[in-house]
Amino acid sequence: MTLQATLLLIFHFAVLLLITKPLGAYMARVFEGERTPLHGVFGGLERATYRVLGIDPNEDMQWTTYCVAMLLFSLASLVFTYGALRLQGILPLNPQHFGAAQMPAHLAFNTAVSFTTNTNWQAYSPEVTISYFSNMVALAIHNWASAAVGIAIAIALIRGFARKSANGIGNFWADVVRCTLYVLLPICFVGALVFVASGVPQNFARYTTFTTLEGAKQTIAFGPVASQEIIKQLGTNGGGFFNANSSHPFENPTWFSNLFTLMVIWSIPASITHTFGKMVGNAKQGWAVFGAMAALALAGMLICISAEQAGTSHLDAAHIQTLATATQPGGNMEGKEVRFGIAASGLFADVTTGASCGAVNSMHDSYTPLGGLVPLFNMLTGEVIFGGVGAGLYGMLMFAVLAVFIAGLMVGRTPEYIGKKIEKFEVQMAMLATLVLAASVLFLTALSSTLDLPKQGALAALNTWPGSAYGGADSIYGAATGNLNNAGPHGFSEILYAYASGTGNNGSAFAGISANTPWYNVTIALAMLIGRFLMIVPLLAMAGALAKKNAVATSSGTFPTDTATFAGLLVGVVLIVGALTYFPGLSLGPIVEHYQMLALASH
Amino acid sequence: MSDLILLATAIGFFLVAIAYTHGCEKLRRGGSQ
Repeated sequence: MTLQATLLLIFHFAVLLLITKPLGAYMARVFEGERTPLHGVFGGLERATYRVLGIDPNEDMQWTTYCVAMLLFSLASLVFTYGALRLQGILPLNPQHFGAAQMPAHLAFNTAVSFTTNTNWQAYSPEVTISYFSNMVALAIHNWASAAVGIAIAIALIRGFARKSANGIGNFWADVVRCTLYVLLPICFVGALVFVASGVPQNFARYTTFTTLEGAKQTIAFGPVASQEIIKQLGTNGGGFFNANSSHPFENPTWFSNLFTLMVIWSIPASITHTFGKMVGNAKQGWAVFGAMAALALAGMLICISAEQAGTSHLDAAHIQTLATATQPGGNMEGKEVRFGIAASGLFADVTTGASCGAVNSMHDSYTPLGGLVPLFNMLTGEVIFGGVGAGLYGMLMFAVLAVFIAGLMVGRTPEYIGKKIEKFEVQMAMLATLVLAASVLFLTALSSTLDLPKQGALAALNTWPGSAYGGADSIYGAATGNLNNAGPHGFSEILYAYASGTGNNGSAFAGISANTPWYNVTIALAMLIGRFLMIVPLLAMAGALAKKNAVATSSGTFPTDTATFAGLLVGVVLIVGALTYFPGLSLGPIVEHYQMLALASH
Repeated sequence: MSDLILLATAIGFFLVAIAYTHGCEKLRRGGSQ
């Protein structure tokens, strides 16, 4: 770790701590239906929205009603996006004349699912595939809606703990509207201007062709980037306006825009822990969850940045300077932007995969084996290291239920959390949510690691990259491992990362895998659907069950859950569940690759 | 792969999720009795 990296981490956590309390308290007021200063600005719009849509914001929904409303809203918006993407050729704001050829059915399905589930996995290059209309309407609608849905689910689960003998867990429509108007919109308005001031473009210009110093022609893509960039990061969406995502100078031009981006990504996931504490009436409960998340995050950052700063034995063998100097970052700079260096790239990788954001400012495929293991592990925890907006908190509360259950088993008492007895049903729901994630990642990774399709006949089309849509030739891969750029453990890591990213609703790519084929588009879409909705359903069921319970009085036998001890237990449960479930998979990928690297160095 | 098959897949998934919702509720009611 260099001094620069140490200072960067201190600064990052200091800013995060400064944001958490005020933003968390503000969100608690918004979702409790209290008046805030912004009600004077958006209050009329909120009431008009309810009137036009026929919503009664005071209707308290049972968990099943809340859940079905969320599912139907997600399905409707998914179908809308699918249709808009397929029809982009006849829709406006399309100066490059992209059509259905660039957006075949399997890619439109993958993309619509991806944005609906807050994943933003992109199996395409936006510059050569997506019209401005598709970007600003079909996809952007989900950048807002999927973020608001995630936060609403977390708030519903918080209400489950906070309420006593209640039938309902809130109103889904009111939660989504309030989140959009009072949380996302004002931050995005200011944040987009900050990005514009940093040099991020915001226009509807046609792509422009320049002549480089060498005399070559280069096409420069533009567009309404700043307005997309801010909600992409704030909503932990992560889908890039450009293929290179946040390593592109028009998305993330400077060290300042990079720091700002890092702060924005974790702002809501960190603050909502304080919202949790406020709403359950004990701020220390929120800080215990924050502490567990921060401890896991810091450990990942230290491992990732240290591994990247150490470089590789291959670089040493090639006599490449890997020691940091006053003018050189040293370490493993492959796949990293010179303007960010090692520390800001490693930190970004940890923040984006901890947060289920998926934006990247460096290529994770180029990381050292241990450096690449960290982003992979972050996703495999179920995205609870601050996690996605809302999703991180409800994922961590799922682990908290398991933690008190395990603690209860150890001391022989009925487990309690936030004054609620944790009984058979809550543990069943927590286990369903945990197991469905593991089943999706492991089963689909195993399938793609072994699937061998013929290269001729009807089945060949299942794993064919549609290069002809981009003026090239189609690539028929056959085996699902044929899409990989690397063989051996690194190739396995690429497949494991793809399904971990899809299931965790992260959306970042290890890269090195040509995923725009019907096989990968459809299976990764299924992973995204499973990871999002089959996790939410049991957690909302848990919320409904908890809301109906009365609070139990604190006694001398109550295990306190607002202490550093509980935060430590929570970290342990996350690590143990992650390690036991995924250790064999990680062993076949980054761990064996690390030892291969060391073995090669010793020869 | 046709539009219809993929849209049916999406709708089918959400129908399963709704059925899953009611299954969980049934389990909760059974558990509380």
